[in-house]
Amino acid sequence: MRLLKTLRNRLRLFSLIVVLVAGWVGAAEKNPQSVQVRIRTILAGNKSDEFDPKLKDMEQQLKPLKYRSYRSLKDDSQNVPWQGTRSFEIPGGRLLTVAPQEYQNNRVSLKVRLTEGDKPVLDTAVGIQNKGNFILGGPPHEGGTLVLLISAAAQ
Amino acid sequence: MRNCEGIRESIGSWLDGELSAAESESVRAHLVSCTDCGETRRRLEKMQLALKAALISQAPQIEFMSFWRGVERRINQKRAWYDDLLDWSRGLFAAPRVAWMVPAVIGILLVLASTDVWRLGGSRNSFASVESIDAYGRSVALLREQETKTTVIWLYQDQEGENEAAEDTAKSAPTF
Repeated sequence: MRLLKTLRNRLRLFSLIVVLVAGWVGAAEKNPQSVQVRIRTILAGNKSDEFDPKLKDMEQQLKPLKYRSYRSLKDDSQNVPWQGTRSFEIPGGRLLTVAPQEYQNNRVSLKVRLTEGDKPVLDTAVGIQNKGNFILGGPPHEGGTLVLLISAAAQ
Repeated sequence: MRNCEGIRESIGSWLDGELSAAESESVRAHLVSCTDCGETRRRLEKMQLALKAALISQAPQIEFMSFWRGVERRINQKRAWYDDLLDWSRGLFAAPRVAWMVPAVIGILLVLASTDVWRLGGSRNSFASVESIDAYGRSVALLREQETKTTVIWLYQDQEGENEAAEDTAKSAPTF
């Protein structure tokens, strides 16, 4: 009898802890305060077969672009609040402005604008999985092509 | 005041001195006032005395030397590894531990389901959804690479004069 009573009490206590922990984890998942935006700028070209070791972790993602060489030019990270904007300098006098919009179903919505001097080059709205990324490529630079890997992680 | 049924269940423990002071006092007070329970107590006491007398009379006939030799042999005997494993597994599935383990497993599963710890490698990056693109008159391509689930927005700088610096851009634009 005493053993059963103890078991029941322990089960109740543990269930309460589990519910509280699950609630806490769920709340943390739903209300991220900001987004860590990371922009990796890569120069792709065909003049050599150089592959920058710093880009090893994204080799599989770059392979389909069919360039022979990839060199990392910049790797910037900034914490951006929701509805806020942050600008990242891109080689060639360009500027990439990122504005996180919302976080829903483990996906981060971003507005991204690329400008060259005063001229807008591209405006896009993209939804990516939290901690995921997408590639924006094409602008020419120093005889090659710029490839930007844009990733976002809700904090 | 506890009822007679409850008291009778406790008389054995009371006689063996296993009850707490408060419980013991409660049983004692009840036995003083209740003749039925007092009778039960007397019967139990009689039975205990009879058992004790029987054990005492039989004790000299028991061969203790062989018993102690057996105990010594078992102490010195090296246990097989599977016996240890068996004991350990019995302990693992003993009721109190299971009581802790069941909610613990549920908790771990909930935490895992709520985070993306299990989403590693390529599967972490599902396709990005592109809601709008405005390239201000330039050609733009939206490409999706299946293997790594990578979404690529490719800007073709095909406006006059803009592509002169990139000598190999046009001919090497991604083909996917």
